[in-house]
Amino acid sequence: MTPQRPPFRDGLIASLPIVLGYFPIAFSFGVAATRAGFSATEAFALSLIIYAGASQFLALALLTSGAPVLVSAFTLIAMNLRHVLYGPALMRAAGQGASTRRAWAWAFGLTDEVFGQALGALARGQQFSEPYMFGLGIGAYASWLAGTAVGAVAGGGALDGWPALNAGLGFMLPALFLALLLSILSRRQLPVIAIAGAVTVAATLAISATSGILLGMLAGAIAGLLRR
Amino acid sequence: MNWDLLTVALLAGAANWLFRVVPTLARTDRFAPGGLLERFLAATGPAAIATLFVAAILPALTPDLLRLAPVIGGTLAVLGVWLARRSVVLATLAGAVTHGAAVWLLS
Repeated sequence: MTPQRPPFRDGLIASLPIVLGYFPIAFSFGVAATRAGFSATEAFALSLIIYAGASQFLALALLTSGAPVLVSAFTLIAMNLRHVLYGPALMRAAGQGASTRRAWAWAFGLTDEVFGQALGALARGQQFSEPYMFGLGIGAYASWLAGTAVGAVAGGGALDGWPALNAGLGFMLPALFLALLLSILSRRQLPVIAIAGAVTVAATLAISATSGILLGMLAGAIAGLLRR
Repeated sequence: MNWDLLTVALLAGAANWLFRVVPTLARTDRFAPGGLLERFLAATGPAAIATLFVAAILPALTPDLLRLAPVIGGTLAVLGVWLARRSVVLATLAGAVTHGAAVWLLS
């Protein structure tokens, strides 16, 4: 997006903070997957196909707890519905003349962080470019896949002798959810978040963890629909 | 290969592709905002994330203060770094590092 560098290279360079952040999170996913009894290939397949960190951790929890396949898939899909808003928000910032000819490929890489980085670049006055989006997305995706592969090959027992590191990586998931929650927090969404959280606690304590997740999401979404 | 895992991955992956690509290609940013669909989509994401945060943190909550301290430290680190840098990645890493450091110090 800058005149000095080709846009693709510019996007790759802009992806560096995401690359550094993604690798350890993906590593902990690879470790968690093998610890949950999945093979390295299966862990890698989850990252390759789903490419959404929080959903992948949740997939492990749901599948190992014996949740039905369709319930698991529905939960992951509901969780990622927020991504529907990223493309339109980005294109609104890019302007009417922005090309989306190759969006079928680069838009798959619109994760929370890639979206945030791209939107930030546009807000700083840079011009939208599809090669930039490819560079940004490929850097982040490659880091995610590499981190998963290294973590999965290291295996579930790799951290047994390192309890503090093990605990830190174990906290990666709640930390990621909290950071994501903070990133979307607004006065408008507060009732949705409060209702979803309260119903999750109540249903988890009264029924089960899986029911808590499903009922919490449903209650929050209904609260959003009823909001005027 | 675990076929349940592959089925879930393919369904969730296909939905992810659709969620990220179709609205971009369709330029839905040109549609009027505030409709039922927009409100539903806008609420589902926050509801899902709030639910998952609560579900992830619940098992870590305990009346044992020594075991709770790393959780509190990690949570405060996420909040602090988020307020300072507004970065999801940095806040996540800060939370994990603080939690791990607290476990190491208290062990």
